[in-house]
Amino acid sequence: MSRMLDHIWRVCATGFSFAVFGIGGLILGMVIFPLLSLGIRETREKNRLARLAIHHSFRFFIGLMRLLGLLSYDISGIERLNRRGLLILANHPTLIDVVFLISLVPNANCIVKSDLAHNPFTRGQVRATGYICNDTGVELVNDCVAALRSGDNLIIFPEGTRTPVDGKIVLKRGSAHVAINGMRPITPVRISCKPRSLTKGLPWWQIPPTSVHFTISVQEDILVNKFSEKDNPVLASRRLTEYLESYFRLSKA
Amino acid sequence: MSREEIFEKLSSVLQESFEIKSDAIRPDARLREDLDLDSIDAVDLMVQFRPIVGKKLQPEVFKSVKTVDDVVNAMHDLMNSN
Repeated sequence: MSRMLDHIWRVCATGFSFAVFGIGGLILGMVIFPLLSLGIRETREKNRLARLAIHHSFRFFIGLMRLLGLLSYDISGIERLNRRGLLILANHPTLIDVVFLISLVPNANCIVKSDLAHNPFTRGQVRATGYICNDTGVELVNDCVAALRSGDNLIIFPEGTRTPVDGKIVLKRGSAHVAINGMRPITPVRISCKPRSLTKGLPWWQIPPTSVHFTISVQEDILVNKFSEKDNPVLASRRLTEYLESYFRLSKA
Repeated sequence: MSREEIFEKLSSVLQESFEIKSDAIRPDARLREDLDLDSIDAVDLMVQFRPIVGKKLQPEVFKSVKTVDDVVNAMHDLMNSN
């Protein structure tokens, strides 16, 4: 009986959390950010404040889910995030990985689908934060390198989408292109969620049998010089991608 | 330059710079699916072909190509467009 009550509680709390997330997003995008844009003309300052607002909102959201008994977490190596111009690459088991990462990084930049810049519900956020808004290609890589050079901490999930359940981690090469072309070290973050939850293709109300535990580990930087010194950029990106794939596959254990 | 010569040149660049095996490089091989080339690779390929074609290649040319044969035709058209 108590297990059933616990289940009902967590379904309701999950729905409530998602509603809070949606409403919070609307308030930020339709009230706070338009006011911010009116008050502050200088783009970088506006971006910094908007990103800071999202950082604190996400911290609040993670705290809320924890308070409601939906999740718990351990975070290690967080001091490694306390630098500028980081290329942060993480594996992507769940829907809320980006919420976790942005809650740990005050001036985070990330890549959003260009559709979001045209959607009236998300346009405000995309404009105010100055998130990289590009779908593919050389321009996207150049934008990422430029963001890193300007001191942004750029978060990318190199899988491009959430890891399939019981699926192998397969990476796209884009983030390796960014590291090689921009000559940036990589700050890898390993994320694990047990039991698996909020995976791809799962509706939100199908919650796991118990509350979930996240382990987030910010690892030592991976230097890319050893890849770019040996090979031309094309091959270096391939080698680095292979290396990162085995790196993130190991983290599942 | 004939189509055959362009194909040979393309094949050697793909083998040397991209480490693609020669038997995979057939006219009907699809760049993305069969040869695992992404859009960044395509740009790199264009840079390598610029001195051979003798003019600047527009990225748009590569958005419509799907196979090795398409690349050969696009190069051939470009070199004979004057």
